[in-house]
Amino acid sequence: MSEPEVNTNEEKKGTSDFVEDGKNKMVIKCKYCLSKILEKKTAVYVEQEKELPLMFQGIDRKQGEIKKEMLNEYYHVDNMYIFENIGFTHQVDNYKYLTCADCEAGPVGYYDLDSKHSYIALSRIEHS
Amino acid sequence: MAKTYDCLFKLLLIGDSGVGKTSILFRFSEDAFNISFISTIGIDFKIRTIDLDGKKVKLQIWDTAGQERFRTITTAYYRGSMGIMLVYDVTNEKSFENIKNWIRNIEENASADVEKMILGNKCDLDSKRQVSKERGEQLAIEYQIKFVETSAKDSLNVEYAFFTLARDIKAKMEKKQEASNPTRGSGAHQLRANEQQRRPTSWLSRCSLL
Repeated sequence: MSEPEVNTNEEKKGTSDFVEDGKNKMVIKCKYCLSKILEKKTAVYVEQEKELPLMFQGIDRKQGEIKKEMLNEYYHVDNMYIFENIGFTHQVDNYKYLTCADCEAGPVGYYDLDSKHSYIALSRIEHS
Repeated sequence: MAKTYDCLFKLLLIGDSGVGKTSILFRFSEDAFNISFISTIGIDFKIRTIDLDGKKVKLQIWDTAGQERFRTITTAYYRGSMGIMLVYDVTNEKSFENIKNWIRNIEENASADVEKMILGNKCDLDSKRQVSKERGEQLAIEYQIKFVETSAKDSLNVEYAFFTLARDIKAKMEKKQEASNPTRGSGAHQLRANEQQRRPTSWLSRCSLL
């Protein structure tokens, strides 16, 4: 009975290392080349279930198959010019995927063409 | 939210297919990530932030996305662009000759006061060179455009080129604002406007937001 509560607490504690007043406490960088993506306190932490294609699709996949994973922690950026350095892919359905502007690792998140808002997945970036 | 930058410039990369425009914008396109999901979709544009003489400048940089194969670029693509990098390949004579055609295309389609710069790319491939640096310089003088040889592969002069173009856009913008708002400036400002000699632009004037 008590185990889930412990997990919840640990999770919250983990988030508080990165989030302060609902925003990113630290600078957000690319995991691979440390290119700066966002300045401190420029994005709002949101919890939402959203699938993102895997960064590495692997060579064993079938033609046209896209492997995805469900992620639920994102930073919300309502204006694209808030980003320090970022790449936008061509459109897929109603999204453009976001990549590191330097090494092009990605998707680190997505841009919604309807709302014109961007979302960066916490698990795809580095806090520093 | 408070504004996080001082200026925003839209820049385009233009030139024949294969001159390395994509490598200038997309540094590691041949690297390990090439088998990734991203490389299959391709990148449309990038936002980069640079510090330009103490001002935080955002650059939105667009590649031509293959349109250049039709040897022309439409007005829609040029809309709102403030700077254009004209790129040729120093190992490809034809791409150099076509710079004149691209300049004509820009004159016909882009805003008249768009800032331009010519880049002679792939200057690391000296043994295959077909266009000398002097010819590039000569062309630039002819059109009164700045010129630099670059190597996207070795990251040579690429950053310099973007800084130079951005600085020229900023200077032009500030000059324009001074001209259109002569009464709003300080006394020193007006005095300077009356001087004939060119002096560094004052940081008192701010560059406008898009």
